[in-house]
Amino acid sequence: MEIDGEKTILERKQSTYLSLDEKFEIRKETYGGQQYSQIYFTRLHLMRTLLYSLVPNLKPHLPVCKILGLEKGKECIIVGTLYKHMKLKPSILDEYSKTRSVTPLVKPHNFMHLDDHLILEDESGRVKLGGTMLLPSSYITGIVVALHGMETEAGDFFVQDVLDAGLAPQIEFPLESREDKYVVLVSGLSVGSSASNPLQFQLLVDHITGHLGDEKEQAIAAQIVHVIIAGSSVEIPRGLLNGQNLASKDQSRLSEPIKELDIMLTQIAASVPLDIMPGPNDPANYSLPQQPLNRCLFPGSAAYNTFRSCTNPHCFELDNIRFLGTSGQNIDDLQKYSEAKDKLEFMERTLRWRNLGPTAPNTLGCYPFIDRDPFLIDSCPHVYFAGNQDKYETSLLKGTEGQLVRLICIPKFSKTGVAVAFNMRNLECHTLSFGTQFDL
Amino acid sequence: MATTSSKNMKGFYRQKKTTGGITKKATNTKSPKNAAALSSNLTAFISHASPELKDDFDGKESVLRQFDMNMAYGPCLGMSRQARWERANRLGLNPPKEIEVMLNGGKVQAGCLWDGRI
Repeated sequence: MEIDGEKTILERKQSTYLSLDEKFEIRKETYGGQQYSQIYFTRLHLMRTLLYSLVPNLKPHLPVCKILGLEKGKECIIVGTLYKHMKLKPSILDEYSKTRSVTPLVKPHNFMHLDDHLILEDESGRVKLGGTMLLPSSYITGIVVALHGMETEAGDFFVQDVLDAGLAPQIEFPLESREDKYVVLVSGLSVGSSASNPLQFQLLVDHITGHLGDEKEQAIAAQIVHVIIAGSSVEIPRGLLNGQNLASKDQSRLSEPIKELDIMLTQIAASVPLDIMPGPNDPANYSLPQQPLNRCLFPGSAAYNTFRSCTNPHCFELDNIRFLGTSGQNIDDLQKYSEAKDKLEFMERTLRWRNLGPTAPNTLGCYPFIDRDPFLIDSCPHVYFAGNQDKYETSLLKGTEGQLVRLICIPKFSKTGVAVAFNMRNLECHTLSFGTQFDL
Repeated sequence: MATTSSKNMKGFYRQKKTTGGITKKATNTKSPKNAAALSSNLTAFISHASPELKDDFDGKESVLRQFDMNMAYGPCLGMSRQARWERANRLGLNPPKEIEVMLNGGKVQAGCLWDGRI
């Protein structure tokens, strides 16, 4: 800090950035007519190899066998992919089997039913799971688990214990960081929608860039080293898209939200490194992993090298602290097909199952990869975030091998006016809330 | 399905029972798939199919079809045999080296045996 007469110049803190998005980018994949069986095979193989290495430590005396090798009454461990049979899960075939006049008036938000049951499957066969250890309401199709139990007379597999992979090993948290450095996470800006308040967004931008408040406030803002925008930044007026050619005035109306967003992002990018991720409502591809928003959409901000358009999911390291997060589609999909006490529990489950999007490709749109599953979590992050959630929630998750993860649910900014500030020194986070109402 | 110029529809669908026969196991809640028996019956079936569907069938192709049908290396649909061999190699499944040699040299079908038929 230099003192020049009466003015003090505050310098923004900086941090090193490393992008780890290569596995989410679709560059060399070519579609050869494959189906989703390839990604399931890869997922089962990689997870099974991992579970086979973990099982001897937990249950050393039990034999491990394939589903085809099950014998009645013999206690053993089987590893496979879970499949949850759900009565209410919408199926495209229903459109053909039911009469066209019967259309459901209300679409359920959650497709669970008391009759849902679980089946374990590997390449040799499948077996229905019984017993009370495994609650169908907590599990979904697509995760790979190890089950300890035995085959019953009825042919079911009676589950005595469940072993999931647990949290992945974590790189060491760098201890030498002694100063407070903040990362601001925001999502659901929905620029262009009727719900979004341009003044609120402008206040956020002004706070981040240090144009707000006195010197103390500016000193706080100078500690912000990075901004992440986790999806749903625009809302394109879809009412204009009705299958006919757009009139030229409609064409400009279609692109107004993006232009407005670009103006705001230029202000942010001019002062602090910025990552923008695509979300469910953004002009990007639908299936995960969503590819980065095209730089042509942001002519103003893309000129800055601080502006980065990233994939969804997004993984990166700041000062050797690993961040991993999505724009929320994976967690929202889990909520449709299972239940938990809060969104943080869903996030914790995905970390324990070592899969960011276990419901992909079953109910979550996904590219049909052949030789990898990009959602597998090899290394436990220090910060795990999910955007576009209803409210701000956070917790600190502790693993069995000393892993420490900060879980963050980023609320929709257009609805709540809340952004999240995360302190890289001590893994604490707090909210930044912006209000424009005057309660008199 | 592969296109055929046969005007004789009976000839198109003609199937002959093979000596082995595909046996149906008693159904229980497990559904076992016996890969080896299925693939040998399969290759026998194809050799009895109508001439339009028959292709050059030598020992090499037979070995490659066994590789296609082997469940340990995952599904074969939608992938070239070379890509599938490389994936199996990368995942540490130790696919036999002779398959790679066969795929690199000589005129063998690059796609799996279902290629273009499904």
